[in-house]
Amino acid sequence: MIKADRKEVLRYLGYRGSQPSAEMTEMISDCIRQLEEAIVPAFVYRRFPVVFHDDGTMDIADMHIRSEGLFRNLKGCSAVYMTACTIGPGCDRLIRRAEVTSMSRAAVFQAAGSAMAEDLCDRVNEEIRIREEKEGNVLRPRFSPGYGDLPLELQRDFMRILNMSKECGITLTDTLLMIPSKSVTAFIGAAACQGDAQQGCDACAERADCIYSYREEL
Amino acid sequence: MTAFRELLGREWLFLDGGSGTILQSMGLRGGELPENWNLTKPENVIALHSNYLNAGSDVIYTNTFGANRLKFPGNLEEIVRAAVANAGAARIQTGREDAFIALDLGPTGRLLEPVGDLPFEKAVELYAEIVRIGVREGVDLIVIETMSSGYEAKAAVLAAKENSDLPVMVTVTFNERGKMLTGESPECIAALLEGLRVDALGINCSLGPKQMYPIVREMSELTDLPLIVKPNAGLPKEKHGRTYYDVTADEFAAVMNDMADLGIQVAGGCCGTGPDHIRKTIELLKNRPLVRRNVRKRTVVTSGTKAVEIGAKPVIIGERINPTGKKRFRQALAEHDINYILQEALRQEDAGADILDVNLGMPGIDEPALMEETVRALQGVTSLPLQLDSSDPEALERGMRVYNGIPMINSVNGKAKNMKAVMPLIAKYGGVLVGLCLDENGIPDTAGGRLEIAGRICRQAEEFGIARRDIVIDGLAMTISSDQNSANTALETIRRARDELHVSTILGVSNISFGLPNRQIINSHFLSMAVANGLSCAIINPNNADMMAAFRASLALTGNDDNCMEYIQAYGNVEITSEVRTGSVSKTVPAQPAGLGVCIERGLAEQASKAAKEALKTMAPLDLINSELVPALDKVGKGFEQGTLFLPQLLMSADAAKAAFAAIKETVGDNSGQKKGRVILATVRGDIHDIGKNIVKVMLENYGYEVLDLGKDVPPEVIAETAVRENIRLVGLSALMTTTVVSMEETIRLLRERKPDAKIVVGGAVLTQEYAGRIGADAYAKDAMATVRYADSVFKENS
Repeated sequence: MIKADRKEVLRYLGYRGSQPSAEMTEMISDCIRQLEEAIVPAFVYRRFPVVFHDDGTMDIADMHIRSEGLFRNLKGCSAVYMTACTIGPGCDRLIRRAEVTSMSRAAVFQAAGSAMAEDLCDRVNEEIRIREEKEGNVLRPRFSPGYGDLPLELQRDFMRILNMSKECGITLTDTLLMIPSKSVTAFIGAAACQGDAQQGCDACAERADCIYSYREEL
Repeated sequence: MTAFRELLGREWLFLDGGSGTILQSMGLRGGELPENWNLTKPENVIALHSNYLNAGSDVIYTNTFGANRLKFPGNLEEIVRAAVANAGAARIQTGREDAFIALDLGPTGRLLEPVGDLPFEKAVELYAEIVRIGVREGVDLIVIETMSSGYEAKAAVLAAKENSDLPVMVTVTFNERGKMLTGESPECIAALLEGLRVDALGINCSLGPKQMYPIVREMSELTDLPLIVKPNAGLPKEKHGRTYYDVTADEFAAVMNDMADLGIQVAGGCCGTGPDHIRKTIELLKNRPLVRRNVRKRTVVTSGTKAVEIGAKPVIIGERINPTGKKRFRQALAEHDINYILQEALRQEDAGADILDVNLGMPGIDEPALMEETVRALQGVTSLPLQLDSSDPEALERGMRVYNGIPMINSVNGKAKNMKAVMPLIAKYGGVLVGLCLDENGIPDTAGGRLEIAGRICRQAEEFGIARRDIVIDGLAMTISSDQNSANTALETIRRARDELHVSTILGVSNISFGLPNRQIINSHFLSMAVANGLSCAIINPNNADMMAAFRASLALTGNDDNCMEYIQAYGNVEITSEVRTGSVSKTVPAQPAGLGVCIERGLAEQASKAAKEALKTMAPLDLINSELVPALDKVGKGFEQGTLFLPQLLMSADAAKAAFAAIKETVGDNSGQKKGRVILATVRGDIHDIGKNIVKVMLENYGYEVLDLGKDVPPEVIAETAVRENIRLVGLSALMTTTVVSMEETIRLLRERKPDAKIVVGGAVLTQEYAGRIGADAYAKDAMATVRYADSVFKENS
């Protein structure tokens, strides 16, 4: 079952190492309970070969992609997975509902929903890892459209290639926002050896100013 | 050609099988749009249809599954025309002139509001466009398939019916848990589609025949309409990046044969099935007689995700969304405060209501427009079905059209003119209709007179194709203070309506005590009596503990509460106070309430509300605000700014302050003093993530500003027009992504042009001080407190 890691929930809420009050702790537990009933996780992934060109571009499925970040991430990979997952529209409904009566609850649903989507990504990641292990491959860190210099416009290709609306109920607005909001698309590279790609917060230019970044506990 | 409607449900009708998977085997690449092949490779499309016609399919679907203006902005007409022509060509080539061509409508690929961003009417128009082309090109019927949202299916059905007289079949998609993507159960969707008067309904795609079987069985017990089954060839599997299905034609046909026992009448295949699957299925089924289904028809009202049965055990209809006699509610309507209505809805839902009555009738408001807006807003937050309550048929229709489900409609009466105005609405949109026992001559004094009108309503309804089970008769509770026999008459009416007319019944319970003191004593006892006399629906205030106690006790006493579980759950752990006058049920005595300031600092909303009410007994509202509320808010705000406390605490305090303000407003009316200023807030066009904007709204309101909240996905023109019309000095805009900051920039440009003296503050995940400057904003606010501080500076320097 999909879980919301409490530490992650607190991090998304902007707590930096300090302890929440008893009321907040209870609210978080209660929201997680409600979310567990409301979410309907769904995902889809497909495996494609990847071709690297000398000009720093790549071909994946029927796409020709230019992105230094993704290139660095995938260098050395023999295959790449395109993945999409969502915890479903229930979380958005709970947020909308909470906004009527309690913004603090809305914020907690928001944070806990994100933590659950993250957990689902990790599980999908793990499923793919086990598949690739049999082939002697290891996985590279997830890399999503909009991350670094990877164009957000690729969301349209994810929609098309993975048939996301039918396979897992994710749709896209004209402005490339995914609905349900707690949805994630990503490339995951598979290679015989680990690359030198940085991971998580280390790979992000905004790290220093970001209130969500992982840091040493105070 | 025999008319399709004559065959449907009387003889087997066989549909075609998968098309996408077949076209892929002909070379269609993953991600390529199959509809383009109607133009570029018509021979392949014709071959696809021909193979199914040769296999014995009676109905072929045009290759228009994804054909809509969103995906084909330039050549939709061409695509649909070619698709119908290709189907027609196949029919001639195979000599199957007896076969039918179905115009295929699939999902738009977008989610409808409020879950997504596609407005309901836009969805109707997208489908209407295809229907008009298809009808012109001569299709025989319209099939709406693979729907994963009931609301979208409704848009498609309305488009089909408003633009043609052709038969309409609808099939929807369930996951293995028997739910649609947007959460509908088979019960909800069957009620919705029956209400919309489709010709046949059923299930297709997502599941193989085995996984579909239990859902087909459930569906077969829910509807007496012809039932369609079109499964995939099993669950999808994947090899080398390609999806495949592996249920063989024989296996497929065997399960379809089992489903024939459940009484299906229309059979075909979906993804992964081919002509062989269809051929084998036809071989097994065609000589079998159709099995008659034994359907227990029920009266059901639904929301998107919830079905409530009427007539099984009594249900509660919450009466609080109604301005009659409620000063605070009237004020909310006058101020267009939709949020107040939503709060009333959620309170009643939490208190145990099954259905919510929505009455917005008040002189001086545009009731039809408000009904539509309120229904939209309500179904975004509550999962309960609604009862649309109005004497204005136009208001009813506006609400019914955008309603996601089968509503209760309150009401029609025995006047000929009224019945002719309201009943066609039910026949078009579906609904359970409340019939009032009154006519041109008023309200009869006797139960006999009322039943005579009730009977007339039932008969008239039948003429409009409305089944008797979808009529609920109101026995009309009139106050006993003016006619001491009126309770007896109302009770006799509901009892006899049940026994003689075999319909469900409803009462507006609280009317019975009008003009009497301590009304809840009379009301709660009358409720018990009504339940004992067979009442199906009680319109009451579920927030009133006495009424709920009477209701739950009555259910337990009339055998409507299994093992008294509901009663025990509600009252097993509470002490009942012995105070006769209020008789209220409360959890053990609460501790001495803390001061308002402390409650706000600690973020205790409920206590803050109580503390405010308590303090108002000895303090003027303004003094309370200035001496307790504002200092507490300020303390928390400063803590947030200094980083000693975090967003959740700030929000909990904001919630508590909001509860305190609401308590003040409720107690003394809107007397909270002069507003500091009026501010527009909007999440810009294309952006649907508005939690940040909503946080800012709560904070600004707590700090004394009046907020004109324009919502999310707001076009620049609307923001500029409102700023001009309302002479606004500060506009706050939010955007989440770089893709939507573009429309933020556009909005700022328009505002500069139309309302140059308005200040603009922006916020959102990707924005920075520098970015804000570049798009021309006056200020960037990194969080809600920063927005409050900026607003203070604007209104200070300008005042």
